[in-house]
Amino acid sequence: MTASLRRIYAIAARHAYVLRRSPHRLFDIVMWPAIDVVLFGSIGIFAARRATGSGQQVALYLMVGVVLWHVVYQAQIAVATGFLEETWSRTVLNLMVTPMREWEYLTGVALFGLLKLVAGVGVVSMIAWLAYAFDITSIGLGLIPIAGLLLAIGWAIAMFVVGLVLRFGSGAEALAWGILFVVMPLSGVFYPVNALPWVLRPIAAALPTTHAFAAGRAFAGGGPLPWHELWLAGAGTAVLVAVSVAYLGWMLRIFRSRGFITRYL
Amino acid sequence: MDTPALRATGLVKEYRRGRAVDGVDLTVGSGERVALLGPNGAGKTTTLLMSLGVVTPDAGTVEILGHRLPRERGAAMAEVGFAAGYLPLPNQMRVSEYLRMFGRLYGVPDPDRAASDGLDRFGIGHLARAMGTELSSGQKTLVGIVKAVLHAPSLLVLDEPTASLDPDVALRVRTGLRELCADHGTALLVTSHNMVEVERLCERVVFLSTGRVVADGTAADIAERFGRDGLESVFLHLASLPAATRPTAREGTAA
Repeated sequence: MTASLRRIYAIAARHAYVLRRSPHRLFDIVMWPAIDVVLFGSIGIFAARRATGSGQQVALYLMVGVVLWHVVYQAQIAVATGFLEETWSRTVLNLMVTPMREWEYLTGVALFGLLKLVAGVGVVSMIAWLAYAFDITSIGLGLIPIAGLLLAIGWAIAMFVVGLVLRFGSGAEALAWGILFVVMPLSGVFYPVNALPWVLRPIAAALPTTHAFAAGRAFAGGGPLPWHELWLAGAGTAVLVAVSVAYLGWMLRIFRSRGFITRYL
Repeated sequence: MDTPALRATGLVKEYRRGRAVDGVDLTVGSGERVALLGPNGAGKTTTLLMSLGVVTPDAGTVEILGHRLPRERGAAMAEVGFAAGYLPLPNQMRVSEYLRMFGRLYGVPDPDRAASDGLDRFGIGHLARAMGTELSSGQKTLVGIVKAVLHAPSLLVLDEPTASLDPDVALRVRTGLRELCADHGTALLVTSHNMVEVERLCERVVFLSTGRVVADGTAADIAERFGRDGLESVFLHLASLPAATRPTAREGTAA
């Protein structure tokens, strides 16, 4: 195993210990996903029973939306709270005085986050199947590239949050959870963005999540994979990842130059 | 001549509240044991953090074993061990898990063996299975030192390592550190407010005051230059001077 892989593994294992010994962290992985799927699944069933024609697809849209949403949510929350864990336990300085590079740290947290993501999305899918007879696997392999893009978006948002915490300290911690509740309504997770007030539509159109969810809805509705939406989502994701990496690097330089490490001594 | 373990030249750091470090030169030779002393606010921790690459200096350069920071940070940090008496252990990890993690981060081939040897060296082998929450502050400090020496570093940097230790445990730490330095040729840079400890552990003392080096030499030399009977007396003397009247290294004479 190379030195880099050993360091990545060390960080992933460190966060496995944290999860194992902090059962309340399971809320992010099990409880909130379960509540979301029951909430949106029930709304969908209720609305579909009263709808006619294509309106009956509302339940499908909600279920696909909630499963895909948890890809973004779990990816983001795992990396952002993973870094917050280092600040809470005041491990940041000890980690900085090792040969580990920043990308190795993020990779370790993100890889362990993948396990949490599988667990969280698994919970959502299982409850959707058991309680609402919705089988996400029946939709097809076309959801995989969409989920892949949403995963990258989740990680990019997490890097942005980590950058904010480096720059602004504990005051920015709330964004680890809160930022997604800004992204969610603007991304048309459960509805086409033309349902948004007109003033918000240009913002929604600029978000890669909007196009990824639109692609997911169209594909789940029985249509072919909408390559145009996927392309827009892919390009937007690439830009978002590049901007997040640059922002995080910038914030890290400020963190070092202003001596913000003293917040965690 | 050996490459110094640490060579910091012309370090300057200015924060909003003022200049914390003002042109510090600090060299630690290979295998040398050096203490960095000074009153609160003298710039010790900022100097240490700049020397470790955690804080970027406004001016000046840092080289560790010839590796220039920040460009060669990874290679430099592989040679450095660091522990601070004020840093806790993560609550959700056992001591052995914590040490294994850092062993892997430092590229130690057999981290469990290194952890076990390190714990035994400092007489706390029985704590391997303890959780971070179950340790006293002194035990946490000892585990932090074990963490810092897992990879037999060429330079060991310790910030207030024995601040929370009983005298007998502090003695064990000093003995362990001396053995480590002798066995591996490890250089030591340590800050402390315990002058007796510094005199027993370190060969050379660098005094900082208001961000500047005001004395650099053996404990006996410094005491003599300031006309005092020991480091503690020098410390109290420097701390009592108004900042503007404190001597620089060149002026560091009896006052």
